[in-house]
Amino acid sequence: MNRVLSRESSTLDRSAERLSARLAESTTRRSFLGRLGAAALAVAGGSAVAAAVKPDEADAFHFCGHIWTTGSCPSPYPPLSRIDRKGYPLHPQSGKPIDNLGRVVDSAGYALDGSKDRLRGPDGNVLPPAPRTRVCEDWTREVKGLNDLRIQGSWFRCCGGQIRKLVDCCSFSRRRINGDASLVGYCWGGRRVYCVMYYDSGLPC
Amino acid sequence: MLETFTPAVCGSRQRQILAQAVFAVAALATSAALGLVLGLAGGALGARHAVLAAAALALLAAAREAGLVPLPLPQARRQVPERWRFELPLPLWATGYGAGLGAGLFTYQPVSTFWVACAGALALGRPVPAALCLSLYGAGRAAMVVWPRRRSGDTTAAVERLAERRGTLLRANAVALLACGILLAVAPAAGGATLVVQDAYDPSFSDDVLAFATVDERVVVRPLGGGPDVVYPNASQPSLQGEYLAYVDAGGIRVVRWATGEEVGRVDNPTASHPALEWPLVAFVRRDPSYRRLVVRNLETGGYVIHVSVKPGFDLGRPSLRGGRLAWHVASRKQSRIVLKTLATGARRVVARSSIALLENPAVIGPRIAWVEGRSGVSHLRLGWVQAGRKRTTVESMRTRLRAYWTTSAGAGVVYSTRWTLSSGASAIYRTNF
Repeated sequence: MNRVLSRESSTLDRSAERLSARLAESTTRRSFLGRLGAAALAVAGGSAVAAAVKPDEADAFHFCGHIWTTGSCPSPYPPLSRIDRKGYPLHPQSGKPIDNLGRVVDSAGYALDGSKDRLRGPDGNVLPPAPRTRVCEDWTREVKGLNDLRIQGSWFRCCGGQIRKLVDCCSFSRRRINGDASLVGYCWGGRRVYCVMYYDSGLPC
Repeated sequence: MLETFTPAVCGSRQRQILAQAVFAVAALATSAALGLVLGLAGGALGARHAVLAAAALALLAAAREAGLVPLPLPQARRQVPERWRFELPLPLWATGYGAGLGAGLFTYQPVSTFWVACAGALALGRPVPAALCLSLYGAGRAAMVVWPRRRSGDTTAAVERLAERRGTLLRANAVALLACGILLAVAPAAGGATLVVQDAYDPSFSDDVLAFATVDERVVVRPLGGGPDVVYPNASQPSLQGEYLAYVDAGGIRVVRWATGEEVGRVDNPTASHPALEWPLVAFVRRDPSYRRLVVRNLETGGYVIHVSVKPGFDLGRPSLRGGRLAWHVASRKQSRIVLKTLATGARRVVARSSIALLENPAVIGPRIAWVEGRSGVSHLRLGWVQAGRKRTTVESMRTRLRAYWTTSAGAGVVYSTRWTLSSGASAIYRTNF
């Protein structure tokens, strides 16, 4: 969508783009009317509209279950912002806790090597724990300079045979991480979706 | 030489294929070995100068190939020894031919590109990538043996077809060399890191002398301008300042005149570590039962001041003490920061703070301060200013989850840093100019 919206547009496309942004801002994922409006505008000639709200946009499909366009939150393994129940980062493949450098850590925060022993530095001493902080409230706040970020809405999909919880990181910002207009999504209280994360529940589906 | 690899000379089609295969393997292996040697030499020589030299050579070679500058090429105008074919078994002479031509040094070079490739391998300063790059030369040699067979049974005709396109090939070669020269000149490595010491860590630089620790628990003091190494066994964590060296031994911290080994001071405390020396002051980390403390002791008067105390859950890293300024890092699971304190005034400033990145191992030099920043599998060597409000820069970055920066030391316009491999713990010290 970014690519489409940032492109030199014709007058018609620019008008449609504005319409699409308004539409995108006011719709929710479950809004049938939003999709219907998108289809109508697309038929009317606004190519950017379809790109803005089409649910299966290619670059939005950046991890399983996420069929909307908002990008992932910054994390130790971008763009796979896998989190645990409390919003701390997990390794995207193994699901093990990782520190902010992306190293698998034990419960005390010490980085582990391939043998699951505590990682040692060049001098042979165990490395001290590195920061391990929340992907939405800490990572996104520092990287994007937003102080009002909260985990609010979520929804569920079946991914890899288990239920995946897709989580919205919400802000009052009208701009989302993609740089364009943000969506209400499952955020509330005036917040909108700034970026998204996911939590694999382990429950079969 | 191409006529050698025919069924008639080899004895059969199968023997021809065998000879070509053996030739190709030998050519590839020899050219890769040459690259390996050049990469090793480049690492010892210093990448920055080598890169610039390679760029200049490539541009000169481009001018030569374009016919602008008539220059002779250094080369041995030899041919492969024909008698080998009669005296030696096929695998041996094919190997010999492949090795002789793959090395490139013992045969005729119609263009200067080979020498530019050698200079490029030297400039890489890294043996394995250099070997891989130069093995392409061996692959080219091997291709020239196989190619005529694919296109035509008559190898002479194949070579003649190639010779007819000589003008086009030379022009393409000149353009490629020009592009190489430009790319090398603007490459990050032109201002990038140079391998200084392998299997070493904890650099400490002062007055053109580098001290470092080795994996076999020695501290080595190496005058970079020449002169023998001075080695201290059973020692670690060196800190160098002029004629003085502080290091950690079994009993605590020992301070010596490094050239003579004369002891001039001691901190008799086995829990003392991470010294930073600015004679007569030595800063170090002391591990008390409930706290880790950053202490600065005056070795002449015996007086000391505790500047920082943190709980054991915090990492209080190796400090840096230069020009009356003390820098250190504090890292926890929630935050990390680089702190700078002016000892004379007691003024303290947080140079950098992060809730997501690991900021560690600062090094103060004059008005600048360098440190390491890591997050998301990327490790940066950052450079800031002692004074607030001035812009920070990135000296260099490593975008890999396999390696990272570790301890640092700085001199005028130069940062020495430890780079290490997380899986093996292998480490080396690199120099980066800024």
